[in-house]
Amino acid sequence: MSTKTAAGQPAQADTTQAAPKSGRWRRRRRSRPDDPGSDVIPIEMYGLKRGTTTVLTLVCVLFAIFTLTPIAWIVINSTKTQANIFETFGFWFARPFSLFHNFALLGQNIDGYGTYAVWLGNTALYAVLGGGGATVLSAFAGYGFARFRFRGSRILFYLVIAALLVPITAITLPLYLTYAKVHLINSIWGMILPSMVTPVGVYLMRVYTEVSVPRELIDAARLDGAGELRIFFRLALPLMVPGLMTVLLLSIVGVWNNYFLPLIIFSQNRLYPLTVGLGLWAERAQNSGNTELFPLVVIGGLVTIIPLIALFLILQRYWRSGLLLGSIAN
Amino acid sequence: MIAPLGYAIYTSLYTSRIIGGTVFTGAGNYTETLQSGEFWNGVERVIIYAVIQIPVMLAIAFFFATIFDLGVAKWGTLFRTIFFIPFAVPAVVGAIMWSFLLEPQFGPFVHFASAVGAHNVNYFSPSLMLPSIIVIVIWEWTGYNMIILYTALKSVPRDVVEAAILDDTPLWKIILRVKLPMVRPAIVLLIFLNTIGALQLFTEPLILSYFQPNAISLNYTPTLYIYNTAIGGAQYNLAAAAAVVLGLVIVVISVSSLVFRRRGGELG
Repeated sequence: MSTKTAAGQPAQADTTQAAPKSGRWRRRRRSRPDDPGSDVIPIEMYGLKRGTTTVLTLVCVLFAIFTLTPIAWIVINSTKTQANIFETFGFWFARPFSLFHNFALLGQNIDGYGTYAVWLGNTALYAVLGGGGATVLSAFAGYGFARFRFRGSRILFYLVIAALLVPITAITLPLYLTYAKVHLINSIWGMILPSMVTPVGVYLMRVYTEVSVPRELIDAARLDGAGELRIFFRLALPLMVPGLMTVLLLSIVGVWNNYFLPLIIFSQNRLYPLTVGLGLWAERAQNSGNTELFPLVVIGGLVTIIPLIALFLILQRYWRSGLLLGSIAN
Repeated sequence: MIAPLGYAIYTSLYTSRIIGGTVFTGAGNYTETLQSGEFWNGVERVIIYAVIQIPVMLAIAFFFATIFDLGVAKWGTLFRTIFFIPFAVPAVVGAIMWSFLLEPQFGPFVHFASAVGAHNVNYFSPSLMLPSIIVIVIWEWTGYNMIILYTALKSVPRDVVEAAILDDTPLWKIILRVKLPMVRPAIVLLIFLNTIGALQLFTEPLILSYFQPNAISLNYTPTLYIYNTAIGGAQYNLAAAAAVVLGLVIVVISVSSLVFRRRGGELG
C-alpha cells in the first residue's frame, strides 16, 4: 500500500532534486530545493501565449484579495475604538489610534468574563502538550506499524484508520458524558488527552517511515547488535524529523483552533482556550449589552491568529513541499 | 475512543427525570430523535450545504492548483502562501471577522453591494444565511484543499505530460483527460474529508447566531441541535441518542463515498 502511494514521490523528488537536470526543461529561475515549482514544463510547450499568464495572474490577485480581506479588516479595526468600529469605514483607519489601549485591555478581566492573557497561556499549554504528545505518539505508533509485524498489527492499524471515520462532534458529547463520570470536566487533561490521539498523525508517520527509513538500514543496525530503542532514537528518528515537523504543525493547529471540545468540557473561564473565550466575549458583547467588549473581540482575534500565521511562515517548507499533506491525499 | 461511544449508546437508552431518577427507556430516545422534525431539518440543511459548498470549493481549489502546477501565473509561491493563510485562522475568529464584514447595518460588504447597485442587502436574512456560511467556509478551506491537489498534481509523472504534448494534445485535454484522472484518488479523499466536516457544521453558525440570534435557530444544524439539547436543555440522554444517530448518518454517507472509490479500483 504505502510503497505504491505517491506519498513517496515528493520525498524521492527531494532526494533526486540535487542531481543535474537536462537544461532544456529547466525553468529560467533559481531553483529552490524545497519547492517543487522549480521543475515545471515551460508554458510555451503547451502553446500558451504570454497574455494568458497576465490574465491568470490577475485571477490569482483577485482571489488573494478575497483571502486577505478579513485579515486586513481585523488589522485595521484592532486600532479603533468601539464607536469607530461601527461608525467608520471598515477598510480605513480612524482617529483616535487605540491599538495599544485595546492591547492593554487584553491583560484585564473584563466584566468578570475572564482574562485574555490567561486564555492565551491556556491555549499555548494545550497546544504544546497536546500537539507535542500527538507527535510523540504518532512517531512511536507510525514507526511501529511501518517496521514491525506483530500479531494483530494489521487489524490494529485498520482500527486506527477507522477512527478517522468517526465524526468529532459525534464523539465529543459522549466524551463529555464519560468525563462527567471520571471527573475530567474542568480538568486540563480532559482537553489534552484527546488531543494527543491523532489517527491522521499515526497514518502519516507510518507512510513517512516506510518511505524515509530504509528497512535495510535497520536490518544492518540489528546485525551490528544495536538494540531496538537505540535504532529508533539514533537511526530512525533523525530521518523522520521532516515528517514529525508536519505532524507537529498540523496537531498544534488542530488544538489551537479546537472549539467544540473545550466549549463543552470547560465551565470555568480561567480554563478556557482563546477560541472559547473569544466566542463568549462575542456573545456577551452582542446579547448582554457589554459593547465595550467589541474592540477586545477584534484585537483578541488578531492576537489569536498571529502566532499560527507566524508558525506557518517559519515552517513553510514542511507544508509547502506538501511532503505529508500530499500523502493524505494519495 | 471506543469507550465514550459505548457509554453514549448506554446513556442514550436511559432517561433522567426530575422525579424518579434515571430510568431505562430503551429505544425511547431514538424514537424521539428519529421523529424530531428539528433534528432532521438540520440534517437536511447540512446535506444541501454540503452538496453546494464542496463542489464549488473543490472546483476553485482545482483551478488554482492547476494554475500553480502549470506555472502559468506569476508569483505562484507567494499566492500559494497567501491562499493557505486562512487554514491557520481558527473557525471562531474567521466567523467573527465575517460576522462584522457581512453585518446588515454597518458591515462594509453592505456598502460594496450598494456600490454595485444592490441596496439594503441583508446577508443574514433567512435566504442568504446559508450562502453566507458557504462563502465563509470556502474562505477558510480552499487553500488547504488547493495545496493537497497541487501536491497530487505535482506527482503526475512528467513524461506522461510530455508525451501528451508531443501528441499535440490541447491543454484543456491534458488537464481534464490526463491530469484529472491521475489525481482522482486525492479528489475522492477530499470529498470524503470535506463531507465529514460539512455534516458536522457547527462553529460558524453558532458564532453567527451570537450576532444574529433571529437568523439561526437552536437546531440550525444537527450538531447545534445536539449541543443545545445537551448543554442548553440538559437533556443529555436525548442528546446522546442524537449524537449516535448523527454519527451513523455521517458514517453511512462517508463510507458510501469510499465504496464508490473502491469500485473505481483505486483503494490503497
